[in-house]
Formats: sequence, C-alpha cells, structure tokens
Amino acid sequence: MDELERELGPLEDVEDDDSSDNNSTKGRKKSNLPLVNPLCVETPKETGFHQSTRICLEQIREAMLHHRWQEAAEYMACYSQILEDSSRNTEQQYKELIWRISTEILHNHPNSKLEDYNIIYERMKHSGFRHYLMISLEHAFHLLLHGHIEDAKRQLSNQKTKLIQAYRSLLDYIIWCDKKFTHSNTDYPDSGDNQEMHNYFRQASVNLKEILKNPGVWDPFILCYVEMLEFYEDHEVALKVLNDYAYDDSFPPNPNAHVYLYQYLKRHDASERKLMQELKNLHVLVPSHELMLEYSSLLLQSDKKGDIQKALGVVLEMLDFACWRINLDVWKRLKAIIQKLHLQEDWKDVVSGEMAGRKDWWPALHFTSFHACKDSEENPELMEVKASLTKILCPDLMLKYTAERVTSGTWT
Amino acid sequence: MDDEHTAGYREPCTQCAAVDWGVSDEGRFYCRSCHNVIERTREVVDLTFTPGSSRITTISRGRRTKRPEQGRLWMICEGFQFILRNQANALLKLGVRPHFKDEVLWPLWRLYLQRSGQAYTNNPVRSCVFKMRGPDSDSVMSASETDGETNPSSTVGSNAESSSDWSLRSGSVDVTTYLTARLRRGRGLMNMKKCLALIHLALIWSCEPLTLSDLLRLVNEGHIPYVNAYEELPDEMKLDGRDGLIFRVESIPSHRVMHREAQTLLLFLQLPAFPPISRQSLLHPALLSLRYLTDANLPDELHPWVCQLMELAGMADETLHTLDAASCRVLPRYDVQTAAIIVITMKLMFGLDDHTEWDLSNEAGDHDDSGNMFNLRRWYRLTQAALTRAQQRRARDIARKQWKAKKPLYPSRLEKAVMMKKKRTAELVQACFEKLSSCPAGVQRSNMSSFRFCWGDEDGADGPSLHHKKLDGVVTLKKKVLSPSNSMYWHPALTRCHPRVCRSHYSEVEAILPRSFVWLLELFSFLLDVKPAYLYEEVLRVERRVFGSKAPRDGHTRRPETRTKTSTSARRRTGNGRNDVKNLPPKS
Repeated sequence: MDELERELGPLEDVEDDDSSDNNSTKGRKKSNLPLVNPLCVETPKETGFHQSTRICLEQIREAMLHHRWQEAAEYMACYSQILEDSSRNTEQQYKELIWRISTEILHNHPNSKLEDYNIIYERMKHSGFRHYLMISLEHAFHLLLHGHIEDAKRQLSNQKTKLIQAYRSLLDYIIWCDKKFTHSNTDYPDSGDNQEMHNYFRQASVNLKEILKNPGVWDPFILCYVEMLEFYEDHEVALKVLNDYAYDDSFPPNPNAHVYLYQYLKRHDASERKLMQELKNLHVLVPSHELMLEYSSLLLQSDKKGDIQKALGVVLEMLDFACWRINLDVWKRLKAIIQKLHLQEDWKDVVSGEMAGRKDWWPALHFTSFHACKDSEENPELMEVKASLTKILCPDLMLKYTAERVTSGTWT
Repeated sequence: MDDEHTAGYREPCTQCAAVDWGVSDEGRFYCRSCHNVIERTREVVDLTFTPGSSRITTISRGRRTKRPEQGRLWMICEGFQFILRNQANALLKLGVRPHFKDEVLWPLWRLYLQRSGQAYTNNPVRSCVFKMRGPDSDSVMSASETDGETNPSSTVGSNAESSSDWSLRSGSVDVTTYLTARLRRGRGLMNMKKCLALIHLALIWSCEPLTLSDLLRLVNEGHIPYVNAYEELPDEMKLDGRDGLIFRVESIPSHRVMHREAQTLLLFLQLPAFPPISRQSLLHPALLSLRYLTDANLPDELHPWVCQLMELAGMADETLHTLDAASCRVLPRYDVQTAAIIVITMKLMFGLDDHTEWDLSNEAGDHDDSGNMFNLRRWYRLTQAALTRAQQRRARDIARKQWKAKKPLYPSRLEKAVMMKKKRTAELVQACFEKLSSCPAGVQRSNMSSFRFCWGDEDGADGPSLHHKKLDGVVTLKKKVLSPSNSMYWHPALTRCHPRVCRSHYSEVEAILPRSFVWLLELFSFLLDVKPAYLYEEVLRVERRVFGSKAPRDGHTRRPETRTKTSTSARRRTGNGRNDVKNLPPKS
C-alpha cells in the first residue's frame, strides 16, 4: 500500500500512520548539530523494508568497527536487497555503499578469494555509470597487488579517459622495470628479452607523451617516464619533458616539477648557475622546502656580490616556518652566512634590512625563555648557535633567551 | 464459415488444407470440407455475476497442451480471495480450528463483497463501465450488467476479436476502477491491510485465542503470507505493474494501524453482536493475564490480584469485551488492555516509584529464610538480561528480513529491464556473501511459540523460573484480609486530551517518570511488539476507569486525590471525547 500511496497521492482524510513518538509533540526544536550519518536516521514514514535495511546497515557498521568480519559478511548477504529499492533518489548512494563496504569486508575476511573480488567488481562496475571508472581503477589496482598485471591491464584496456590511460602506461612501466631487473641480473642478456622490454618502453612512452600534453598533476608518471628515458640515455627528451612540466603555464603550479628538474640536473652535473636558477624558482613557490638549504649553500659558495644577501634571505625565510625551528643545520647555515657577511662593511645594514619585517614576531617564535628551557634540555648545541645569533639579529631587543637555569619550575 | 462460433480460427486443416471450420453440436471444431474433427472446442467465458448465484462460471479453454503464458481474466477481489484463503490455511496449519475458516471467515468475506457492492448484489460497483483491457486500446468493450442475462453470442462475438490476444493479457481486469480516487475514498475497496483486519475480526468472532499482537507476530515471522502474498496466486492470474500497487506491500502494519483498520471494517460491515467473550475464553483478561504473567516470569500468586484489579476497573464484565452494536461498539484491544492491567497491578503491589519496590525487595531478601519469596530485584535482573538478549535478537531478525519478491512486478516495460538488472546485481552480491559467510540470507525460524521467553531449567531457557515464588514479602494481613504492604499509588494527570490534537504525551513525560515504571512498560511493549507510548496510553485509560469508578472495595487502594475522581466523572457525564472502553454502568 505504501507504493499505492506514493503513486496516487495520499487520501485527504488518512490519519497519521504510525509515526514515531517524536512527531506527536509539535514544535519540537530541531537540533542544530550536523547529522553524522544521514543513512542511519529513521525517517518518519519509513517502510518496513527501509527499516530493515537501515538496521542492517547499522549492524554492518558495528561489526566492521569491531572487526567482526564474519558477522559483517552475513549481514551483507542480507543487505544486498537494498539494491532493488525502487525509491528513486538514493540509488547511487547505495551502489557506492555496497561497493565500498563489500571490498572492505573482502579485504579483511579470512576466506575471501580473488573470484569474490572479481564478481563484486564486475557487478558493481556495470551497475551504473558514475562509478564505472573508479571501480575499474580499483579493480585494476587490486589485480596489480596480487600480481595479475596482465589482468589489470585488461581491465583498463578499453578506457579512453586520460587517467586510465596514464595508469595503463604505469603498468607498462612496472612490467618494464620487472624485465629490467631480471635482465640486469642475468649473465647472458637475452636479446629477445631486450626487445620485449623495449616494446613496453615504447608502449608506455607513447601513452605518456599523450598524457603529458594535458595540464595536470602527473608526478608519478613523470618520474617513471624520466627513469625510462634515462635508462635509454635519451637526455634531450628527458630534459624537454621536465622543462615542459615545470614551465608550461597551462599546467598548474607544481613545486615537485621543479624538484624533479633540479634533481635531474644535479644527476647530470649541470652548472651551478643552472641549479641555482631552478632552486630560485622553487623558492618562489615553496620557501620552506628542504632544498632551500642546498640553495643557500650554493649561494654561500658563489662569489657573486648579491648572493650572500640572497642567502640570508633564503635562510631567514626558511626559519619563518615553525617546522625548521629546531633544525640545527639551518641555524648553522645562518651562522655561516652571518660570518661571511661580516666580511662586508655594510653587514649591519643588510641584516637589519632583512630583519626589519621580522622584529615583531621573531622573538616570540624563536627566542622566548620557554624555548631557552626546551633547547637547553633537548638540544644544547642548538642553543649555543641560537644564543650567539640573538644579539646580531635583534640587537635592540632584550631577549630572554639565556642559558640560565629556571628555578623552582616556574616560567618567568 | 460461421465466424461467430469458430472465433476466428484460421489454421488450415491438416487433411485438406482448407480454412473452413464449423462447430459441431458438442462444441468441437470440424473442417467443413473434409469433416475432419480436431481437438479444439468452443470456449465460452462467462464473466457475469448473476445475482443469486455465487459461482463464477467458466468453461476452460480445452486445449490439451496448456500454454504457460495464457492468462485468465480475473478481478481484484478474486485475487484477495485467494490471498485470504492462503492466510486462513496458514492459520489452520498453526492450530486454529477449521470453524474459523469455514463458518466465520467465508461468510464475512461474502458479506464484505456484498456491502462493498462487488458481488451478491444487483448493482455491482463497476456496472457503469466495464472495461476489458486488451493489449491495444482499441479492444475496449463495455458491457452493462444491470441485467443478469447477457447475450451469450454477443459476448462470445466480442470476445472473439481478442481471443487470440488472450495469451498476451496480464493483469486484473478492474484494476483501473480499483485505482480511481472516488472508489478509494469510499473505503469500500480491499487492500492488504483490510484483508488482515478481516482475519482479525474473524478470529475474534471465533473466539480463537490469537490476539492482534499474536497475529501481527505471525505475519512478521512469515508464518502467514502477507508481504509478497501475491506470489502464491495461481499461475493463470497474471499480475502486472498496476496490480502491484494494490498487492505489493513493503511494511507490516503496526498494532495501532491494524486496530483502526479493523474498527473501520467493523463499522462498514455492520455486523450483529459477536459471540460473547466469557471469562473462560482465552481472550478475556482473566486468562490472558495468566499467559502474560507466565511470559514475564512473574509469580502465579500475582494473578488473583490482577483479577481483583480487573473487577475494580469494571473490566471483568464480559459485555465489555464482546462487540455489540448496542453496548460495545469499539473493538477491544485485549492484549494491550490486559498488559495495562498487569502494569497497574504491579504498581499497586510494588509502588514502582524507584524507591518502594527496592525497599520491599530488601525486606523480602532479609526475611527470606526458605528462598521461596519473590524478590523484585532478582526478578528484574533476570528479566532485564533476557530482555536485552531478546531485543538484540529481534533487531537482528529485522535486519536480516528479506522483503523483495522472487518474481517482482514491474510497473512498466521500460522499468522492467532496469529492475531486472538491479535484481541480478543484488542476487549476485548476495550469493557471493552467502558463500563467503556460509550463512544463507534471511531469518532462520525455529519453532513457533506463543511465548516470547522460556523460563525454567532446560537448555536454552532464558533463566530460572520464578512462577512458584510467594508474595509474602509484599502482602500483609490487615484485619484478616490480605492487602499489599505498599500503601502509596502514584499516577500522572489522568485528564484526557482530544484525540485529534495529540496522540500521546509519553515522550514529554517519559523523562520524569520513575525508571522502574518505564522499564516495565518497555518489557510489556516488547512482549506485545507495540510502542511504549501506546501501552502507556492504555495504562492511563485503565487508571481512569479505576479511579473514575465508584468507591474502592475493601479499602485497599488509597487514591491520592479525590479531584481526579470528580473530574473524570464529570467528563463521563457530559459524554464527550472518544473512549475506547465505553462508559458502562459500574458493576455493583
């Protein structure tokens, strides 16, 4: 009869069907707290079918949270009827739910076999369009993890989307790596194997070239591609690829691109100028990057006039970020820079120029008595270095960063 | 060729290849050229309900090989008739006497058909336009049935056009009329809930000891077909999507809804007085309470007190429980009333105000040398443990219940493909997990029992039995009369609210009610499978009867305020408001 009511509209004088007690009190204040799980909330006119599936879902959730996988599997067998629900708007929700919960149960249940996975993936894939690709991908990963690389490839083979293509080339790369490994371990390089390896390389590179034309973040694919190109000593192409990835404006700004380019250049003994150029670009994007330390050392070593000031700026910007606060290397570098700077006459101006914007908040960030206490306990060497710099960096301020022992455990 | 009789049969004769058929006197087809007689016979399907006869006369098709996709023309009420029959048979299998089905249910059904104008009447409800649905809309034919005699040849003739299409026909004939708003509003038409309500009325009439909550429990557990009952209809009755709107249900109605449905049906049928429910009947509170006391593991000694309270409330009278147009027009709710009486008895004996009962329990514990005294605390512990387990079992059964039919009904052809695909997916997922967990989906029902709990020493019992314990700890001898030691009785405001304005205030007051009382309500609501608020309202009703009635007997109830009494009797004098338990002159 519920369906009848839905189809033809409720009759006017139908009395309130058996709604929950909450509905009988009028004007009840609605809670302002966000609902945690809208799927498990009882709606006023819930049918018996919906009540059953709602409670089933709650039981599945309980079982999963407590790692009772056998119980979860039993309830899942009963829950699958939700897929036949004829109310329109929640179809997608349930399909996704079933897919994700099923795979989770299969991951953890002791008796799950690959066939079970295959069944679930195949079935859920074809049950709707929205999740088709996601499920395909997950299926492919799963097969990959279990060593069925060829099957994984087949899963993705007829997909046109970029992402799937990219992953397919990744699989080619993996196979290539595999072959390279076995190839390098044998004493007698088999030319047949070599040819196969090369085939995979070609397949992968064709696809990757296609992919990399499109703007996006393709970090893992770039690395694979570059590795393969390096192996075949195709440096020009590699450089071009990396440069395009880093400097193409249509691509989203990606600091990793610069990192990869830098690392490549370093590997191939590029000039210091080039390296510094790269790191400068990275510095603009991510001043707190760990490579900034290398950048500062390059600048320190260089003989150009303005570089030492640049170095100071770089290191100070690093220390602006709390993650470098207790890093001894950074502080040592700062000390080294200051020492080199001392050779210049205008070092005071340079320092005060750099510290101008920092006077207000640097002391609180680095030089409080709390830091003094902590550093003296945990890292005395750091304390020494920092202490020696306080006067230089903040000459006018009275800082409490001293090595005095704190008595009676109270903070001053 | 006499088309009229051969109904458009155009197969060439096997012997002479001519297409020239005639019908012999016996109704067999023969080839006019070579007089070859074939197996085919003339079929006549007479759909009229001739007044005065209650049989539908049909002559079967007569083909030797029955093609499975052939459908038969059928009406919705026929479908319900089959379902009713299946439900009744299920009840008979469970132990109900055949008298219920043969002498009560069928007459009630025929009465219903008559009152709703679907049969046994000169003016059937669909007399205006009787549309026969064919596969194409052209073959719409109207036949008026105001007179019982229709011209057989014209019927056959008009059937002739569509006879070859009958194999494609599915769905009932009059589903469109069933779905018109006018008729639905008239409340005469049958639906699954009403079917069950009819069974309920028949059970009461036959004085079978199945209460409404028992009936609903049987439906819930699948012993009586309800959800997907249409799957058991005969194969020739083909259903289509629109019939599904009427026959398919995805909920089992609650006690409250069923009671209302039954009440409506009762008024609609205008039944005469029911057979009386005597004190010996198992539906009467006197005996029904014994069953509930046993189920709740309460001592048998409590039963006389329950009966006394019953008398006090004026509910022992059998006329109260017997439906009668004159004296009792409202369908009694035997189960809920009895449970309410028991709750009030417990309140009387133990106070149930979160203090008295525990004090009494402590005393009982102190003075109990033989271990034979009933101790409320012990009872509470045992019952609470069993209740928690049973509630978990029930939740688990609800979660596991399978609702979808093996042969679903599709609203339209387009939807059919989609729904079949979904069904396939669901089945595969189910099979996968059934294999994985080695546990089939759905609920495994063990043996049926009227009781929810099992108390005793056997294996699998919910706990030790307390039925034989004595109530010495809570009753005292005063002036040679046994009365409860507890002398206080509390109750919330007993004024009645207008039923249309608000149904229950339980959710508001629940927080301030004593926890013992709330728990007791929970226990009995679990036993009956109703909501605690529902039971609470019934408790209030019975309390109104108790306090609104005349002076207490034997002085062993002290009423807290007298103003409660006057206000309720004032109400009764003006006679307003709906009252489930109708005002009766108090028994002297």
